[in-house]
Amino acid sequence: MQLQKMAHYIDQQYDAEKAMLDECRAGDFTLDNPYVKLNPYLIAPLTALVHFRTKEPRAVTVLVKGKDDGGDMGITYKPATEHFVQVLGLYPDYENTVEISLDDGSKKTLKIKTDKAPDSVHKPTFIETTAQYMDGKIVILSPTSSASLAGYDYRGDVRWYITLNLAFDLKRVRNGRFLMGTHRLLMPPYHTTGLYEFGAIGKIYKEYRIPGGYHHDQFEMEDGNLLILTQKPERGTVEDCLVLVDRNSGTILKEWDYQKILPTNVGGSGSQDAHDWFHNNAVWYDKKTNSLTLSGRHQDAVINIDYDTGKLNWIIGDPEGWPEDMQKYFFKPVGDLSKFDWQYEQHACVVLPDGDVMCFDNGHWRAKVKEKYVPARDNFSRGVRYRINPEKMEIEQVWQYGKERGSDFFSTYICNVEYYGDGHYMVHSGGTGKFKGEPCNRPPVQFRGDDEKYLEMQSITVEIKDDKVVYEMRVPGNYYRAEKLWLYDREDQLTFGKGQLLGTLGVTPTFDTIPELPVSKTVPEKNRLALIQEVDRLVLKGLFEKGQMVELLLEGRDSTVAYFVPTTKRPFLAMCVGTFLEADDRAVTFPISLEGLSGHYKISIIIDDQKYDTGLELDV
Amino acid sequence: MLKEITTAEYEALDKKGPYLLEFYSKTCGPCKMLAFVLKDVDKADPSLPIYQAEFNENEELKNSLGVSGFPTLLFMRDGKEVTRLEGLKQKPVILAEIAKLKG
Repeated sequence: MQLQKMAHYIDQQYDAEKAMLDECRAGDFTLDNPYVKLNPYLIAPLTALVHFRTKEPRAVTVLVKGKDDGGDMGITYKPATEHFVQVLGLYPDYENTVEISLDDGSKKTLKIKTDKAPDSVHKPTFIETTAQYMDGKIVILSPTSSASLAGYDYRGDVRWYITLNLAFDLKRVRNGRFLMGTHRLLMPPYHTTGLYEFGAIGKIYKEYRIPGGYHHDQFEMEDGNLLILTQKPERGTVEDCLVLVDRNSGTILKEWDYQKILPTNVGGSGSQDAHDWFHNNAVWYDKKTNSLTLSGRHQDAVINIDYDTGKLNWIIGDPEGWPEDMQKYFFKPVGDLSKFDWQYEQHACVVLPDGDVMCFDNGHWRAKVKEKYVPARDNFSRGVRYRINPEKMEIEQVWQYGKERGSDFFSTYICNVEYYGDGHYMVHSGGTGKFKGEPCNRPPVQFRGDDEKYLEMQSITVEIKDDKVVYEMRVPGNYYRAEKLWLYDREDQLTFGKGQLLGTLGVTPTFDTIPELPVSKTVPEKNRLALIQEVDRLVLKGLFEKGQMVELLLEGRDSTVAYFVPTTKRPFLAMCVGTFLEADDRAVTFPISLEGLSGHYKISIIIDDQKYDTGLELDV
Repeated sequence: MLKEITTAEYEALDKKGPYLLEFYSKTCGPCKMLAFVLKDVDKADPSLPIYQAEFNENEELKNSLGVSGFPTLLFMRDGKEVTRLEGLKQKPVILAEIAKLKG
């Protein structure tokens, strides 16, 4: 057993960048003889950096040539004499042609050979659209099942992927960079330490750490601060808090606790339990009404609260089963009721400029009481747009896409919608699945072990313009969300220097009781114990049988700090990101924040009725 | 005083005054740790009876008390439940509940 030190990717990238810049400075690189570095930030293999100098300030245009004209991608940079050109959108396993041209008419054509993408970068099985419609954009799919975060062009060719297991939704923010959940697991099954802000070239500029961890969604406010979904793990519930985070410092500025807004034991969807009673999977701030709209899958409810006070304004959802004193918050359907359906276990609420509300209506169980539950084979999922009148408390369904596709388009979980303008939408049904040929009644990613042999997962992304399907891509696997964007963004400027670790992981709760047990110096092989020291935490990994008692001890000079390590997995009723699930269900990962620790510690571990001296020591 | 107990033994008990009744499982990590916590609680307050019943072997007792999971700690007075804690809890939390129980 070893204490393995693992540098944060921010540090690894900084070292790689320093080495690269040293090479650039050591050479006399010109347009005809440029410096080329493939995958300069280690995590984006289909990107490169090209460096050269010009005597006069010159605007540089980079163009990655497509396999046909529709696949060309590029951008023009502002005039400079020292050029660091980001090359994005290379094809995997291909000798790419990249044209670098200056505004004086000179040009250099480079050949950049890339490696084959790993199997986890899944290839589409179907794509139908046109180069004209896509206009050089790609669709990025963020994985839920075992797959890589990847971007696909109009032909379905892979043009970008990330090798880190990033979590939940990728969103571009106003500085042109991306925000996405870190690959650092904080607690099972998918709550991560926070968010990475990174450029398309893969450079991580910031990690925003949140003490309760990040899940599902984030939203950039007009002033740049971030709304981030989180929870208070110490109270035994999840996915029921929201925080506003300062963009520069990572400090939490404001908090909304849904337990102060909603009763936790009513309105339950078919997937609700006491632990995950709301399952907040989306947040949207609307400036016009100064309100927050939140999607709660496990109450089949899209709720709206006042930004300043947190007071509940309204709830979109089937009111059946909610207590009498809550009925005033629900809308009454109007208009053509023959076409109206409530949404159930929905995702990705979006407030449109005119106040309409869209979401992905998963429709899981499609009822509030068990006797009326609709099985997957008879069910449907869809994108839906509701028009609400909060004064009259009336709601009208003004658009939907998906019901007509029946159970083939049915996703029990995940998925999103995007609004591009009236009549122009994306509906991403990323979680369809069939088990032994039958549509799945539970998230397909929950089928493990031998069951996986009988499982077919598919992600279906559709765009609709004026009621016509103008894009459809199907990819094997389940994908949490889809985002369409240009890979090149004028705002996504590469800046050098070390990325920042912002915010805090907080202090990991300790356990007071330390059993007095016989000590052994031989740590059992079968437990495959591993300890990994990161810059801000110590991570215990091991294999433990369900129900084993495990306590990790850090024995300092004056006192011992103990941590109870859970070995029994909770039955998760939602699994929006399954990429952290391990094949061996005995696998346990237990991270300990280094905050609050200082000095020198000997590391021991208690497993059932024996204490083991690992012989390892930790300096903090 | 810590004592393992069966349904029959519990029925026969003189239930006067305050006591704790814990439901545990032999195959539950948090229950194993709670056993050590309760030993410490017992040292801190030896006068309070703490009874421990195996969850799966005492169906009738757990059903009559509405216990559906383990570990569950019932804080009892004169045979009636005053409050309960579910899941693994630390010693100060349990001692605080005992203080309330004893009033």
